[in-house]
Amino acid sequence: MPHAAPSPEDLAHWLARTALGDRAAFERLYEATCSRLFAVVLRIQRDRGLAEELLQEVYVTVWHSAGGFDAARSQPLTWLTAIARNRAIDSLRRAAVRPPSPAEELDADALPDDRPGPAELLQRALDRRLLGLCLEQLAPPQRQSIALAFYDGLSHAEIALHLREPLGTVKAWLRRSLQALRSCLDGGA
Amino acid sequence: MDLRRPDRLEALAAEYVAGTLRGGARRRFEALRRQMPEIDAAVRRWEQRLLPLAEAVPPEEPPLRVWRGIERRLWPAAAPAAPASRWLRAWQAAAGVLGVAVLALAVLLVQAPAPPVIVVLQGTGAAADFSGGFVAGIGGDGRSLVARPLQPVAMPTDRVLELWAVPPEGSGPPRSLGLLRADGPTVLSRDRLPATLLQGGAAALAVSVEPPGGSPTGTPTGPVVYAGALRL
Repeated sequence: MPHAAPSPEDLAHWLARTALGDRAAFERLYEATCSRLFAVVLRIQRDRGLAEELLQEVYVTVWHSAGGFDAARSQPLTWLTAIARNRAIDSLRRAAVRPPSPAEELDADALPDDRPGPAELLQRALDRRLLGLCLEQLAPPQRQSIALAFYDGLSHAEIALHLREPLGTVKAWLRRSLQALRSCLDGGA
Repeated sequence: MDLRRPDRLEALAAEYVAGTLRGGARRRFEALRRQMPEIDAAVRRWEQRLLPLAEAVPPEEPPLRVWRGIERRLWPAAAPAAPASRWLRAWQAAAGVLGVAVLALAVLLVQAPAPPVIVVLQGTGAAADFSGGFVAGIGGDGRSLVARPLQPVAMPTDRVLELWAVPPEGSGPPRSLGLLRADGPTVLSRDRLPATLLQGGAAALAVSVEPPGGSPTGTPTGPVVYAGALRL
């Protein structure tokens, strides 16, 4: 199945048809987006079996709430990604703090599998225009905090463990980084 | 969780989208988001800012069993041709009743003028700002329709409400009946109404939010905010 980015217009159209109970449109929406949403879920919930289960729940939710999609207020892929991320983050609730990563993961993003690490993903995102420019203005540990939270779904406590920094420091970094991103993005600089 | 302070609301929305708002705080925030449009708006702004980061994750094809599982969950009977959202199921039920009722009417009321049909369109919950409902009265001959909001609906200046006749399942796409006033009764012109509106042509009426002038595509593009099944 090709991974060419589906056009927002197609996605919005299939969502509108899905809201009316059109199964064929829903299936096309699934085909066009499932590999992206699965990747997003799998980064956060690394248990493949659970991630597959979550992806099913995501699309069941999409089927039932497609009527709530408003093309004037959201990009379709953003709307879908938010549902997938929220479902994946909620699945982490049970374990408040996951076991700390092995020490060798601390530097160089060396993960046990060959997937790109959060820092590498952030680097790819950096190549993208405005968001990249804004992320680049953050200090490296602050950027890393955002990458660990966003891509791998790490909590404040897990990021603190991972970076070996006090919890309060990590919380303040994240808060300030998000504020800085906002003024940078909204200011268009 | 004091969300009256705008900076606090912004900070929580940011942490919610970034993923670091967790546990009970996350659930409370979600519950408040459903009630407070300003929270929903802040979350959407943060989603527009941060979620493009997700594009950097390489796509990963899920196995076919995921799709099979979705089909099993949504359509347990596995009848391949029957779309069935919650609404459509309600509408199908109404359509079944309608079919029987039309037959009964045809037999019993050969000459008597048919009474008007009243449809109550209730909020679907699809968008937070649309409470209340609409009442539509259809002339017994199916050739006139008046719809009015139970209470005036506050509309953004760049949005309008559009009324749709939703046919029974499998008999075609919804048909626009025209735009609705949000602040008072709308009388729909005779020529906009399908001749079969009350003869099985519609199982339900629905109202969607559209750009000025109505849906550019011929099907609802915005959220469907009110809906009601036709009953005789």
